[in-house]
Amino acid sequence: MPLTVVDETLFASLDPVALRGSACSDCGATVFPALGSCPMCTGVDVQPVALPTEGVVWSWTTQHFEPKPPYRTDAFAPFSIGYVDLGPVIVEGWLLGRTTWQIGEPVRLTLATAWTDGDTPVQTYGFEATS
Amino acid sequence: MSGRAADDEIYIVGAARTTFGRFDGEDNDLAEQAVRGALADCGLTWKDVDFAVGGTNGETKPDNLVARLGLTGLPFVTVKNGCATGGVALMTARNGLLAEGTDIACVVGYDNHARGAFNASPARYGIGDWYGQTGMMVTTSYFALKIQRYLHEHGIDPRTLGYASEKAFDYAAAHPYAWRRKPVTVDEAVDADMINDPLTRFMFCSPDAGGVSIVLARGRRAFDLCEKPVRLASVALRGRRPGSFEVFSTWLSPGERTSPSIDAAKAAFSAAGIMPSDVQVAQLQDTESGAEVIHLAETGLVEHGAQEEGYRNGDYLIDGRLPVNTDGGLLANGEPVGASGLRQVHEVVLQLQGRADGKQVPGGPTIGFTHVYGAPGISACTVLTVD
Repeated sequence: MPLTVVDETLFASLDPVALRGSACSDCGATVFPALGSCPMCTGVDVQPVALPTEGVVWSWTTQHFEPKPPYRTDAFAPFSIGYVDLGPVIVEGWLLGRTTWQIGEPVRLTLATAWTDGDTPVQTYGFEATS
Repeated sequence: MSGRAADDEIYIVGAARTTFGRFDGEDNDLAEQAVRGALADCGLTWKDVDFAVGGTNGETKPDNLVARLGLTGLPFVTVKNGCATGGVALMTARNGLLAEGTDIACVVGYDNHARGAFNASPARYGIGDWYGQTGMMVTTSYFALKIQRYLHEHGIDPRTLGYASEKAFDYAAAHPYAWRRKPVTVDEAVDADMINDPLTRFMFCSPDAGGVSIVLARGRRAFDLCEKPVRLASVALRGRRPGSFEVFSTWLSPGERTSPSIDAAKAAFSAAGIMPSDVQVAQLQDTESGAEVIHLAETGLVEHGAQEEGYRNGDYLIDGRLPVNTDGGLLANGEPVGASGLRQVHEVVLQLQGRADGKQVPGGPTIGFTHVYGAPGISACTVLTVD
């Protein structure tokens, strides 16, 4: 059964999971999600790229109150989000599995259920500790 | 007296604000009250105003305030620049007077927000719906992520955030127009309910209601209208460059961090010919305690990493080296977005004139500084002086 995801344009592939960004042919800057131009150098020659799937926590916080709509969840519980340094770019996303983190600890990309639509789990990306 | 002021200099001659907090009336009531107060402060009426600028983040149209104030036919510009609205409005009024060759400008900022954190629309920021649906489009988490990284990079104890909160509510307790005026200790701030690690309930400002107005006059009029006019020595507005860390960023670039606050402050000090170390009273964007810690350094007032010692020494208290956010800042006044930046200017003007509403900086300060910062990565700073 194909996976249902929050937004297909976020992903270069789903199995194995990889995020889809874009890289600038002029200055090399990488952004996420993919853009049609480069905000770093104003260039317009950009190409979609699959981002590295492993990195380290660059910053983190835990969301202790339930966000207002359009936030969707089956049942709210505090969850962590962070910025993960993937090398060419630092990406914001869920940090999965616990609510306390250390800057610098290694994590890897994975999929997690954001909410359930009928019987269908809707997946988004997140990062889990590698150790 | 008018011989003292060059005609290309712009002065603040009138200032007024409402109490900040919850407000049941119309948004325009706040604006009108502020405008009439600021005009009365310098003995003018709406008929005397040559140029007007109004800022709000709400649904009303500031330029339609003329329906209440009078249909004098004056040019009235509307500004909507998020948390930086006040600074941009002031700059627009200054530029308007200089460009039009007229004498008197009135600036007004006001808002009357619903309770709770701002609820931003992803589409408005050019981001897909997924960002809001997955709970990442939350301003409080942005501030937390930013200060978490900053504390780590500069080796600052998170307890410093509690000092910032304690200071804010201490100032506010003495300020008749502040909203949250109950003192909070460092321990209470640090131990309060966690909102977004490392920021607790006592470390965030809340959207609320308020209005502020400022009257500007060109040099030839300033000293006739006001006993102690405050010179707008400079006002500078800057946007983000690569390397800045802004709200609702799905990605950040690796490498050197930049900030529109750094650039705007540098430009403002340079244009005024004044060093950050000369500043005797300052107002900084403290949307949360961490923002004040960061902005103390980004504006050049304090070295990165030296803020913790500054708080512990009491440097930013009323009798300290550099009193900061002497009206309680955003933490204690809340943030009516359109009014907030002008509240900062209002407070510094009164401090420099020796007639502060709350605690007065002792010793007759002559150089003040204000700083606003907001989405999507803009900052406006002013340098204010008296002779």
